[in-house]
Amino acid sequence: MSEPDSRKHKLIRAPSDLVSKLSQNASRQGKTLYSYVSEIFEQATRAYEMKRSLKEILDNYEILEIPKEAGTIYTPRDVLDYLIQKTYGENGGEMVQLWYQTGKWYGMYLKERFEKPLEIFLRLLQEGRWDLNEVTMNRDKGKVEFRCVSAFIPQERTLLLQNFIEGAMHSLGYMTREKNCFKGIIRLKFSQ
Amino acid sequence: MKRKMLAARLDLADKISMISARRGTLYDYVNDVLEQAIRAEDLGLTLRDVLDDRWMIKTARDAGFTVIPEKIMYDLTESAYKRVGKEKMTGLWYETGQWYGRYYEDLKKFETSVRRYFWDVSEFRISLEGKDTVLTCLSSKFSATYTELFGKFLEGALNALGYSLSQGEVSKGIINLRFVKSLDK
Repeated sequence: MSEPDSRKHKLIRAPSDLVSKLSQNASRQGKTLYSYVSEIFEQATRAYEMKRSLKEILDNYEILEIPKEAGTIYTPRDVLDYLIQKTYGENGGEMVQLWYQTGKWYGMYLKERFEKPLEIFLRLLQEGRWDLNEVTMNRDKGKVEFRCVSAFIPQERTLLLQNFIEGAMHSLGYMTREKNCFKGIIRLKFSQ
Repeated sequence: MKRKMLAARLDLADKISMISARRGTLYDYVNDVLEQAIRAEDLGLTLRDVLDDRWMIKTARDAGFTVIPEKIMYDLTESAYKRVGKEKMTGLWYETGQWYGRYYEDLKKFETSVRRYFWDVSEFRISLEGKDTVLTCLSSKFSATYTELFGKFLEGALNALGYSLSQGEVSKGIINLRFVKSLDK
């Protein structure tokens, strides 16, 4: 990218220490400060389009590979819901158990890998791959309350996901105190 | 704190101003953005790399994909296959594949998305051999049933993209399909 044309650029005020650091980074990469800053601003606007802040995206970078490492796969949502719908009626109990046990394994995996597995689990549920639009967790002393909301998840999958979360939480050392589940909405209360 | 002036591309500077207006001051917002860029560099990454990876979650979701533990998916598939039978299950996967073919509208884009999202596939390639388009998909994790269904998914997608199956070999973990370009597409 060429140097700024005075008619096509704007001057923006920034802390001098950051500008010096950016200059160093830019020259290390063989770029001008102008093009380097433009790249940064491009990514900041991209983050805005994703409805996230750069900080949030960077904070979550370390967890991006976890789903793959922990043995989850992508699947078409419609296929998954069809399979659940066709098997739940006869096999509901078994399926609930399977999701619970898989959740337990997931919780153990997070516990082994991370210092703060509960925070990581929350961030994994929040990052968007589980079809959940909203995931909140409130902690008060040894008590934890989860609220998950989704516009996509049918009743059966909601219930199965609830069991998955419960399994994971049990592995993380929490006991279920209360649970509520309604199409697309999960509320779970745990205590240590 | 000492301040310096930074030159930025006019369109980007305007966008940044617009975003910051919703969050606080321009100075604070720029400060935060630059700090994150430096943080990424310190981690040996660029913001573009980080955003590209994050973007994948959004595009997967937009395309109707969701994550599920693989064991659950494979078990569910086997149970449903026994319950509803081969015809309905292959039909479901074929139609889903057709939907994705239409969604991506382009063979290359479809190939990229399969590579990107189906982590349980160890090898996936689509190549030209003379007039034929040859698709190869390998996965050590697929059962015979899952391989058959995934093969139907791929066939459906390629059909929707204008390719007709001329020959196919499917066995546990191995899908090898040969297509010819349909004349009417």
